[in-house]
Amino acid sequence: MYFPQPLAKLIEQLRRLPGVGPKSAQRLAFHLLHLPPEEALKLADAIVEARSKLSYCANCFNLTENELCDYCASEYRDSSVICVVQEPRDIAAIEKTREFKGLYHVLQGALSPMEGIGPDQIRIQELLKRLAAHEVTELILATSPNVEGEATAMYIARLVKPLGVKVTRIAHGMPVGGDLEYVDEVTLIKALENRREM
Amino acid sequence: MRIEGLYLKDFRNYETLELVSDKNITFLIGDNAQGKTNILESIFLLATGRSHRTNNDQELISWGKSFFTVKAKFFRMGSEHTLEIRYAEQPKKKVILLDGIENKLREILGQITTVFFSPEDLWLVKGMPALRRRFLDLEISQINPAYYRYLQQYARIISQRNNTLRLIREKRENESMLDIWDIQLVDIGEKIINKRMDAIKKLSMLARLMHRKITDGKEELSIQYKSQSEYLKNPGQVKEIMAQNLKNNRQQDIARANTSVGPHRDDLLLNVNGYDLRVFGSQGQQRTGVLALKLAELEYMKSETGEYPLLLLDDVLSELDGERRRYLVETIKDRVQTFITTTGTDKLDVPFEKIDVVYVKNGHIRRE
Repeated sequence: MYFPQPLAKLIEQLRRLPGVGPKSAQRLAFHLLHLPPEEALKLADAIVEARSKLSYCANCFNLTENELCDYCASEYRDSSVICVVQEPRDIAAIEKTREFKGLYHVLQGALSPMEGIGPDQIRIQELLKRLAAHEVTELILATSPNVEGEATAMYIARLVKPLGVKVTRIAHGMPVGGDLEYVDEVTLIKALENRREM
Repeated sequence: MRIEGLYLKDFRNYETLELVSDKNITFLIGDNAQGKTNILESIFLLATGRSHRTNNDQELISWGKSFFTVKAKFFRMGSEHTLEIRYAEQPKKKVILLDGIENKLREILGQITTVFFSPEDLWLVKGMPALRRRFLDLEISQINPAYYRYLQQYARIISQRNNTLRLIREKRENESMLDIWDIQLVDIGEKIINKRMDAIKKLSMLARLMHRKITDGKEELSIQYKSQSEYLKNPGQVKEIMAQNLKNNRQQDIARANTSVGPHRDDLLLNVNGYDLRVFGSQGQQRTGVLALKLAELEYMKSETGEYPLLLLDDVLSELDGERRRYLVETIKDRVQTFITTTGTDKLDVPFEKIDVVYVKNGHIRRE
């Protein structure tokens, strides 16, 4: 073909990454070839290290290099509140607020029968075990505000409420600091429906 | 609203097209398969983001080319805008630009509003319920962008629920797993039904007036929302009724792995003098019914958006008799910008200086 075999192989691998098309893959490959060798090796090492050292937290299923993730291992976090999210990256979003001091539970997905994802394919049993083993006063459901995220939140709420744990769902609403006219209609309608008295 | 200029590049059989007109009525005259309808299709695409005759955007690209551009300069509420859709097939990419700025499809719906009337619409009365639902959904989506998103969410819920039904039938899932989809189905379903009932109430009133005029007051048209569930009699209880019906039909739904309750099963009922037009109407009556409905659509959109939409008439003049044709012209002239395709010389009864006559031949246009 057009490229020597090792280069073709590199392009082929880069192409498999999400959001990378054939042209970007080529550009990235040539960029890597132009880097000083040690820089390129740093990237390769980072990939190997991340893959070999990271696993899932035994408690909350966040990514970690230890048995427990930093949040579960920390003595400063409030273990009586658990925030349920779909993916590890959602934790990063909530942590940025610096407002939440409880623990997390990562479902690693949302219910979607279309894709063959039922309750046993995500970490719901593990959540129930945590609730049985530890004193938890509130469960915050922070799954995505789409059809599957809502269904997952509802499913968990129904399982957990009978256990006497307070279950809350994060609110839908207006972005702060934005102008009303730029908010899309569906979000605005949700915000109107969930308005509060002042 | 008005389109001042329409520009096509590598769209269908047009290598390039520039159609600029200051007249209210544009006549596109030509033989079959010369590209008349392609012009209407491009306007419809700008209004709705999709073609009226295919779901596959690739078909819209000229043969042997790899992308197309459709662009219009238009006036909406007195101010000038441009809307442009570019589509490339490799890699597949659709870009929508409003006034030069990239936008999502749902943001541009309703920028250009249209009413499309083609011979297939004559099936609106006698065809399948899906056609009438599509008519209604397209109509409401153009004036209410949130509605379009509810439809998308709803389709997703139905598909998740049907998959769950199948798993339950195969004993691989518990029946209680339906609840989480049912709650959302009822929630979004209610929003869709309320919007539809509201639209039908207004459409029905307008269509009745139109119809009365076309038939010299001899016939009385009424349009109703039709559903197995009795929402109409209890408009405040749509949710409760839907939830109850879902529960009642649950075993049947599981056996069929299909959802039998909800707005995706509803229909429009057209009555003339109290008779079901679909079953008892003559062909002439059905045509009058469709014409009244289409003209009502124009008025409805005007009442909702403040301006008449564009009217796209695809080869329908030959389908209407003299009387109905005259009424159509009477309604649109001086008010509604209209693009009309026709093969023949069946000219409208309008002074020539008010019409822009454009001849279409093999992907090119010329004026005399």
